[in-house]
Amino acid sequence: MAAVRIALLTIRLVMRTKVALFFTFIFPLVFLFAYAGLIAHGKPEVVAYMFGPVVTLNIMGSGFFGLGIQSVMQRERGSLRRYRLAPLGPRTMLLSNLLANYLLQLPTLGLLLFCAVAIFHMPMKIGWATLLILVTVGTFAFAGFGLTIASVANTMQEAQVYNNIVWFALLFLSGVTFPLPMLPRSIQRLAMFFPSTYLVSTFQSIAAQSEPLLKHWPEMLVLVISGFFGLLFAMKLFRWEKEERISTRAKLWSGVFVVPFLVMGAWMNTRANPTATWSRSYNAMEQDSAAAPNAQAAKLNLIEDFDGNQASQELSSLWRVTADSETRGYSVAEITLSTPGAEGTRHAMRLAGRLAPGPKNAEGHVSVRREVQVPANSKGLRGIEFETRGDSRVYQVAFQPPNVTQLGSLTPAAQVPAAVGPPALPCPLPAISFVPSDAWQNVRLPIAWLANPRDRGLAAGPWILQLSVTGPPGEFTIDLDEIRFY
Amino acid sequence: MGVVPPPVLSCSHSLMTQTTEKPVLVSVQNLHKRYGDLAAVRGLSFEIFQGEVFGLLGPNGAGKTTTIEIIEGLRQADSGSVRVCGLDPAQESMSLKERIGAQLQSTVLPDKMRVDEALRLFAGFYRRSASVERLLEQFGLVEKRHTFFEKLSGGQKQRLALALALVNDPELVLLDEPTVGLDPQLRRDIYALIERFRAEGRTVLLTTHYIEEAERLCDRVAIMDRGQLVALGTPRELITRSGQGTRLELRLAKPVGLERLRVIDGVIDCHEAEGAYFLRAQPPAATIAALVHFLESDDNALLDLHIAQSSLEDVFVEMTGRRMEH
Repeated sequence: MAAVRIALLTIRLVMRTKVALFFTFIFPLVFLFAYAGLIAHGKPEVVAYMFGPVVTLNIMGSGFFGLGIQSVMQRERGSLRRYRLAPLGPRTMLLSNLLANYLLQLPTLGLLLFCAVAIFHMPMKIGWATLLILVTVGTFAFAGFGLTIASVANTMQEAQVYNNIVWFALLFLSGVTFPLPMLPRSIQRLAMFFPSTYLVSTFQSIAAQSEPLLKHWPEMLVLVISGFFGLLFAMKLFRWEKEERISTRAKLWSGVFVVPFLVMGAWMNTRANPTATWSRSYNAMEQDSAAAPNAQAAKLNLIEDFDGNQASQELSSLWRVTADSETRGYSVAEITLSTPGAEGTRHAMRLAGRLAPGPKNAEGHVSVRREVQVPANSKGLRGIEFETRGDSRVYQVAFQPPNVTQLGSLTPAAQVPAAVGPPALPCPLPAISFVPSDAWQNVRLPIAWLANPRDRGLAAGPWILQLSVTGPPGEFTIDLDEIRFY
Repeated sequence: MGVVPPPVLSCSHSLMTQTTEKPVLVSVQNLHKRYGDLAAVRGLSFEIFQGEVFGLLGPNGAGKTTTIEIIEGLRQADSGSVRVCGLDPAQESMSLKERIGAQLQSTVLPDKMRVDEALRLFAGFYRRSASVERLLEQFGLVEKRHTFFEKLSGGQKQRLALALALVNDPELVLLDEPTVGLDPQLRRDIYALIERFRAEGRTVLLTTHYIEEAERLCDRVAIMDRGQLVALGTPRELITRSGQGTRLELRLAKPVGLERLRVIDGVIDCHEAEGAYFLRAQPPAATIAALVHFLESDDNALLDLHIAQSSLEDVFVEMTGRRMEH
């Protein structure tokens, strides 16, 4: 209970100290932005791959500089002496430090996750429970490092020297900074002795290859054992006063701390073949990264897929059905959501109704239309495509600037003024006729070519997409889905 | 090192008759502690009775802090026996800490810790605790309750340290140089707090190198030098029994040889400095009468006379041959 009290107060003290706040919350973000921006170039799949190193770096930093240096600083400053007068033992003090360090880690992790997902669109490829286990084990292991160094260092200067030697070795030789498969073979062999390698490679295997955490139990076990060793040494060598010194013999004994890593490194070098796993993770990330822009681009070009949570409301607000009944005809029609949509998506739009002859035996006519924003830089766009199925009537689809008059009739005689910018169109663009079938099929409307054969792109701004059917009396049904620019 | 142990001036016999009814709360017997080549404490023995304010007086390096820290259980003795509240501080440190309250020579807390937070935190460590609100009030810290430790003045920090020593409502309060580095006004404030401890019936062990502090606050004083006990008793008894006599400082119309002053009845010792003569006299009244008679017969005149009682400083000088360096 005393350990919890001290830990909670320690957290409160951190929140009141600007420097501590910076290093606890802002500094890790600097690394995230550096890795995601400079190394991953903002590619979500690469950010997901580099997220493990960022979290590992943060865990290492809190272990070495948060916990380790703080412990020495408390001793040097003399603030431990006051605690010593209370009925508290080294175990309480160490547990409180561990607990505070861990509890401070969690909001930082949340912040990193939030920024990675919200800003860099990082896909969440690691489950929450797995992530929490990895962070818990990692924090415990590197707390062991920090505590061991704090135990053997007699002064702040000594602790800084030890910390920096280990920190830089782990930073550059274990996949935290450079992806493991990119390191020379000799460095890869060396990296197998470093705990940060185990944490980074586990993170990346799970993120890139969706491997189960259990597959990495040897790495997790070694990290946990090293954490226990660190805690053990810290309890054994705990000192309340800066005047207390530890012998060289005790320092040498603390070298036992690295034994689990030596065993693990030897096993990895001789029996296991982690480099293959590292490469697989890296390649998987590269493949995902290469595929991702297409998916992203497809998402950007999407006009309507009828799959959103608001699809039903959008259907009635964005689309407008017109039938000849408005001009004294008798045709009727309505639009609804049909399930499922094309390519296994949730919904499609269904236009269904009945065509009836109008006055003077004119053919019935029904259309549905909506406004579509053409993006400012439309030069790369060639037209509009969509998936459709339906009865075997003849349907027409047209894409027109909004100021074309009598769009419903698609009369080529009307003069069309320029929309926004070039080119000015002499007349409405011609509609495309198609006959759907029972199966979903793709229909393309080459608007850009129709509008401007010299490939100067479409005028930016609101255009009108219209689907219409006309013909002999009778029922009709057509489904539309995945409407997008191509 | 070949240091000859000074004789111990003890008044314990008469004290024991006064205090035999009170139980012994602290017993230190033949205590030894070395730091490398330095013998910090050499064969120290004393007892502290329940309800008394006991002082360890001595110059810096006398071994006072080492002694009090062994009693607190913060340091291990090399040899000797220490019992505090019936417990062995080395073996039963946790139980002992529940029953004692201690103030360090210098108390350091985290800079951003507030006064009331510190009191509540430390009060939470004990099975029995005093009311934090009452401590804030008692130590004049109510207005500073939300102040960070780094923003407190030296006196406020010292008051907080004393309040922290009382968070567990202890039987024995151990204060290590509680007024060192404080200005006279703050020192008097601390004296008032320690006197309040006495009034509350608490047993107090304090170390100090201020003579007036020991004389004013302590029921009994153990004077230490170079790790050894040189005198033990009530301040009054120590002064009386030391044979130091009363100090006379006089200025005369004409100079006179020191050897002629020394032979005056009752004069124990005398020396001259900056035109004044300093005499130690016992008994003082008869000595002054003999001095006046001598001056009349020598056709000399007394221009100025100051009479002062001897102090523990004189006792220290007598026992060690040195003045106490502050």
